[in-house]
Amino acid sequence: MADELIRMENISKSYGRVRALEQVNLTVHQKEIVGLLGDNGAGKSTLIKVLSGAVPATSGDIYIRGRKVNIRSTTDAIANKIETIYQDSALVTQLSIARNLFLGREPIKGPRFLNRLDHHKMNQVADELLKRVGISKNIPSSTPIGSLSGGERQAVAIARAMHFDSDLIILDEPTNNLGVAETQGVLRFVRNARDSGHSCIFIAHNIHHVFQVVDRIVVMRRGRVVADDIDPKKSSVKEVEQVITGMSDEEVRAAVS
Amino acid sequence: MIRRLVAKPEFGPLVLLIAELVVFWSINHDFLSPLNISNTLAFTVELGLIALAMTLLMTSGEFDLSVGSLFGFAPVLMWTLFNSGVTSLPTAFVIGLIVAGLIGLVNGVLVTHLKIPSFLVTLGMLLVVRGTALFVTSGFPQRTWIAGDHWLAQLLVGDFYVGPFRIYMSLFWFIVVVIILGYVLTETKFGNWIQASGGNANAARARGVNVERTKVALFVLSAMMAAFAGIISSIRTSAANPNSGTGYELEVIAMVVIGGTALTGGRGTIIGTVMGIFILRVMRNGIVLIGVPGLAYNIFIGAIILGMMALHSALERRHQSGT
Repeated sequence: MADELIRMENISKSYGRVRALEQVNLTVHQKEIVGLLGDNGAGKSTLIKVLSGAVPATSGDIYIRGRKVNIRSTTDAIANKIETIYQDSALVTQLSIARNLFLGREPIKGPRFLNRLDHHKMNQVADELLKRVGISKNIPSSTPIGSLSGGERQAVAIARAMHFDSDLIILDEPTNNLGVAETQGVLRFVRNARDSGHSCIFIAHNIHHVFQVVDRIVVMRRGRVVADDIDPKKSSVKEVEQVITGMSDEEVRAAVS
Repeated sequence: MIRRLVAKPEFGPLVLLIAELVVFWSINHDFLSPLNISNTLAFTVELGLIALAMTLLMTSGEFDLSVGSLFGFAPVLMWTLFNSGVTSLPTAFVIGLIVAGLIGLVNGVLVTHLKIPSFLVTLGMLLVVRGTALFVTSGFPQRTWIAGDHWLAQLLVGDFYVGPFRIYMSLFWFIVVVIILGYVLTETKFGNWIQASGGNANAARARGVNVERTKVALFVLSAMMAAFAGIISSIRTSAANPNSGTGYELEVIAMVVIGGTALTGGRGTIIGTVMGIFILRVMRNGIVLIGVPGLAYNIFIGAIILGMMALHSALERRHQSGT
């Protein structure tokens, strides 16, 4: 196994009296795709929000490459090279691909006071990134995001994370509402990101998608991690489903009958 | 090539403006006479200055209803200070702009930090500012004709002839502002932030864009530009009337929207706004020249707004579907 990248230790999160996370430990290694699974309310989203700085943990520590870090905001997370791609991709649909890729970190040319965008550099890098992430169609980087399909938007978001050398890319339901071909495209983009040296946490309700792309599966139930080393090559979808629900075949049948 | 041209938000306004010019000129040839063009340009650019700043603000997803009252208030403040001998004319001018900027700052802070919709904040500010202007002056206009040949008056609204055309300096300021704000919106990092703030504020924030500060800066710009336009207008017309600018806010917003800037934010165009400004002002001037009663003006403006919205919506849908 490669070196450890992220370690979340004893993370707890309470919303009033509700304990959303209870002493959760999660480790992600370098160049590893971890599938995070769990039923609704299992705590996946809360855990990801803590890691991406969207909500602070009530207690617990986060380490990056063994160094303790303090992540209290999304800006802190980005500064620590953690990029989160939500379902809506956090893109501005009216802006072009190139403008979205560099939003907040736009390259400037000429005197600083002119604040002038370096369009040439933005378009050049955007075109290269789109190729690197694996978009097969020839889409000009000046295309507005609103004209792209759901899968292409995910590709742009992944490309952005890759360009700014994020160590960890968190993908929250990236294949939601996508067709079969689009889903395969997104899974390919995720694999390309790993092959380029990035680690990923992949969250999806569709276990089949998770099995196709991840190196290891972590399962959460009722705010706790109940399994953290499931090898998708050695386990079946059914076995993982049982870990997620905590029920045997008989119990599942009884519950649905 | 043609398809790309048609898909641009400025295309519809351009066609409409050309159609207006052709129709009015064919009915009354005096429409394009030097005298009529000079007269139309004089006030058009004053209102246009407000519309240009409003374009940036609306692109960021907000709008400002207090601009009309600031158009009336700033010159009243400036001329009250000057006429009472408190300050020199240039100092009064700067104070007028600074006070307007502070009013814009208050608008911006209330909208971004207290999360009150800009409609409510600026509507309230409209009443406060207009009420102050009326209270300070007891409803009477301030004397401005003493500006005469003062260098500041000449710099702001001095007139000269280019051939048969009487041109005011305000046209020069308008062109300067068009170039600067057009550059800011499309060519700068700040322009990218303006569009992102209006298009998807959460996404912009997640990328480290200071959405709140961006919007506050645009509220300040909008207020100061309204004050600047009001001061220019007061010198040109030799009257600082506390009631002037009433209703301008809606006309300005209509200019911006007709030009192709999205009311919901995220997309804006300065060139489109320039066309929107001329579409409305040419319409106002043209219908009088061809003999349509001036009171019917709003019927045409309303129809133009509805027609342009339908056109923009259709183009947007085509654009989104990739056809």
